Amino acid sequence: MSMIALSGIEKVYRTDRIETVALSGIDLTVGEGEFISIMGPSGCGKSTLLNVIGLLDAPSGGSVAIGGERVASYQDRVLARLRNREIGFVFQTFHLVSDLSVIDNVEIPLLYRKMAGGERRKLAAAALERVGLGSRMHHFPSQLSGGQQQRVAIARAIVGRPRILLADEPTGNLDSQMGDEIMALLKDLQARDKTTVVMVTHDARQAEQTERIVRLFDGRMVN
Amino acid sequence: MLKSYLKLAWKVLLRRKFFTFISLFGIAFTLVVLMLVSALLDHVVAGYPPETNHARTVGIQFASQRGETWRRNGFAGYGLLDKYARDLPNVRLMGVASMPEGVFSYFNGQRVKSFLKRTDGVFWQILDFQFLEGGPFTEADVRDHRFVAVINEATRQRFFGGQPAVGRTIEVDGQRFTVVGVVPDVPILRIVPFSDIWVPHTTAKSDSYTKEYVGNFIGILLLDDPGKLAMTRDEFWSRLRTIKLDDPGFQRVDATPETVFDTLGRLFTGDGTGEGTGYGRRLQIALLVAACLFMLLPAVNLINLNTSRIMERASEIGVRKAFGASSRTLVGQFVVENLVLTLVGALVGFVAAGLLLGLINASGVIQYAELSLNYRIFAWGVGLAVLFGLLSGVYPAWRMSRMHPVQALKGASR
Repeated sequence: MSMIALSGIEKVYRTDRIETVALSGIDLTVGEGEFISIMGPSGCGKSTLLNVIGLLDAPSGGSVAIGGERVASYQDRVLARLRNREIGFVFQTFHLVSDLSVIDNVEIPLLYRKMAGGERRKLAAAALERVGLGSRMHHFPSQLSGGQQQRVAIARAIVGRPRILLADEPTGNLDSQMGDEIMALLKDLQARDKTTVVMVTHDARQAEQTERIVRLFDGRMVN
Repeated sequence: MLKSYLKLAWKVLLRRKFFTFISLFGIAFTLVVLMLVSALLDHVVAGYPPETNHARTVGIQFASQRGETWRRNGFAGYGLLDKYARDLPNVRLMGVASMPEGVFSYFNGQRVKSFLKRTDGVFWQILDFQFLEGGPFTEADVRDHRFVAVINEATRQRFFGGQPAVGRTIEVDGQRFTVVGVVPDVPILRIVPFSDIWVPHTTAKSDSYTKEYVGNFIGILLLDDPGKLAMTRDEFWSRLRTIKLDDPGFQRVDATPETVFDTLGRLFTGDGTGEGTGYGRRLQIALLVAACLFMLLPAVNLINLNTSRIMERASEIGVRKAFGASSRTLVGQFVVENLVLTLVGALVGFVAAGLLLGLINASGVIQYAELSLNYRIFAWGVGLAVLFGLLSGVYPAWRMSRMHPVQALKGASR
C-alpha cells in the first residue's frame, strides 16, 4: 500500500510581479515502511516538497494522499487533525521549546489528542527511553548536546505513533558521529515500527543508506 | 492541556522579567484604580450595617416641581412624603430623614462642627443600628416634640471624652438635646443613615418644612417584595398626579421610589429631576463603558508588547502547528497565557488596592470611611482582569495563530 501518493504536484509562489515555480509535475509514491531520501541542490524545492507531504503547505495544483486517503480539504482543523494522527516531524534546527523540559517537549503532540495527563506522561517517557534519553526527561533543551536535542525531537515526532516520519536535514546541524547515530535511530524506527520515513538531506553518504533516493532539480524530479 | 498551558505561561513570565514587570505594573495599576472605584461604589450602594435591609429598601430621594417656565429640583420635601408616600402598597414601613446638615456647638471654648439629621421613629426600625448604649428615640418622642438625640461614637468622644453619654445633654445649633442612644460611626458615603447626631424632625426650629414638596428630606421605604417595586411606584405616581399646587408657576410634582443605585444613576446620568426610571441601568452601562475605556490604553500597550513577541515564539508556534494544534487551539493557549499574566497582575493590584484603601480610611479624607475589599470587589477585580486579559490577549493570539507553520518555522531558524 502506498503511504504517501503525490500526483501532479505544483507549487507556485506568486507576488504582484513575480511568479516562482517551486515544484512542478511531481508524481511520487512512497510505500508503507519505506525509507526514502530527497536530495538536490539548495533551492531546488526539497523542503517545499517535504512541507507539501507534511500538509504544512498546500500545493497550488495536484493531489496528495496520505495512507491511501486523498486530502480533500485544506481547512486548518482538518489538516491539524491529520498531521497530529499521521505525521511526525524532525527539523534540522530541532525546534524544541526552550521553556519546556525534555518530557514536556515530547508531550506536545499528545496535547492535541483526547488523553489523560498520566497516559501522556507514560507515552512520552517511553518515547524518550526509545531514543536513549530516559535519564534526561527533566532536563531542559539547553542542557543537552545537539545530538541529544535531535533525539528529543525524534522522540517528540514518534510519541504519537505516526505512520509517517518527515525529517528535514535531521543531521545537518550535527557532526558526523552524531549524524550517524541519528541515522541509525531513524533506520531502527523504520525497521522495527514499519514507519515510513522521508528524509531531506544534502549528505550523499546518508542518502545512500536509504532505500531510494529522489532527486530534485529546479522543482522537478530528475530520476 | 490546561496544566501544560499554565506551566508554560508561568515560564514565559519568568523568562522576560523586565517585560513581565512592565506588563504587570500596567495591569496592576489599571486594576488598582478600577478596584478603588469599585470599593467606593460598593461602599455607597451595598448593604452594610446599619442598612441590613438594603435589598428590600428603596428611597424617594429627589423631587422636582415644574411649570411651563420654572423647574425646582431638590430632595423630597417632608410634606410630599407625609401626604403622598404613606401607606403605599407593598410597603411595610415608611420612614423619613433629612439630609445631614452641618451644625455647630460651642464646647469648652471651641466651635465643634457636627452633622445633624432629623428623622422620625420608623427610621430606627428600618435601619439596623447596633446601639453601643441606650436605644433609639420613638414615634412617641417625635410626636411629642421631645428634645432627645442619638449620637455616634465620634460625637461621644468629642463631647464626653468617650464616657457613657446616655442621659447627658449636648447643645447643638442653639438647641439642647438629651442623649438617649449611642451608635457606631457610619461613613459619610452612606447617605441614608449617615450623621453624627440624629434628632426627631419635630424639633426643627420652624415647621415650614412640613409643607414642602421639594425640600431636604428623603423617604425610606421597606418593601414587602422588592420585585413588586413597580406597583408601589405606580401608585405613588398616580397619587402625585392628584396634587393641586397653590403656586400657579408650578403645575406638577415628580418623585420616584427607587434603589440607592438608581438614585446614584439619576445623580450622574440623569437631569437631576425626580422623573423617570432606569437610571441605575444607565449608570451600570456608563461605568462599564468607562472601565473599558480606562482599560483600553494599557490593553493596547499590552497588545503591542504581545504582538512584538510573536517572532520570538515563532518556532514554538510552528512546532505546535506541525504537531497538530489548530489555530483555534493556539488562540486558546495564548489567551490562557495572557489571562495568567493579567490574573497575577490582578492579585498584585488587589493587594495594592487593599493597602491604599487602608491609607484612605486612616487619612480621614472620607469621614468614618471603612472602605474595604470584599468578595464583591474581588469578583469585580477578577472580572475586570479577565476582561482586560481578553482585550489584550485575543488579538495577538489571533495574529500568532494565523502564522503559516512553514513561515513560523523558517522565521525561527533565521
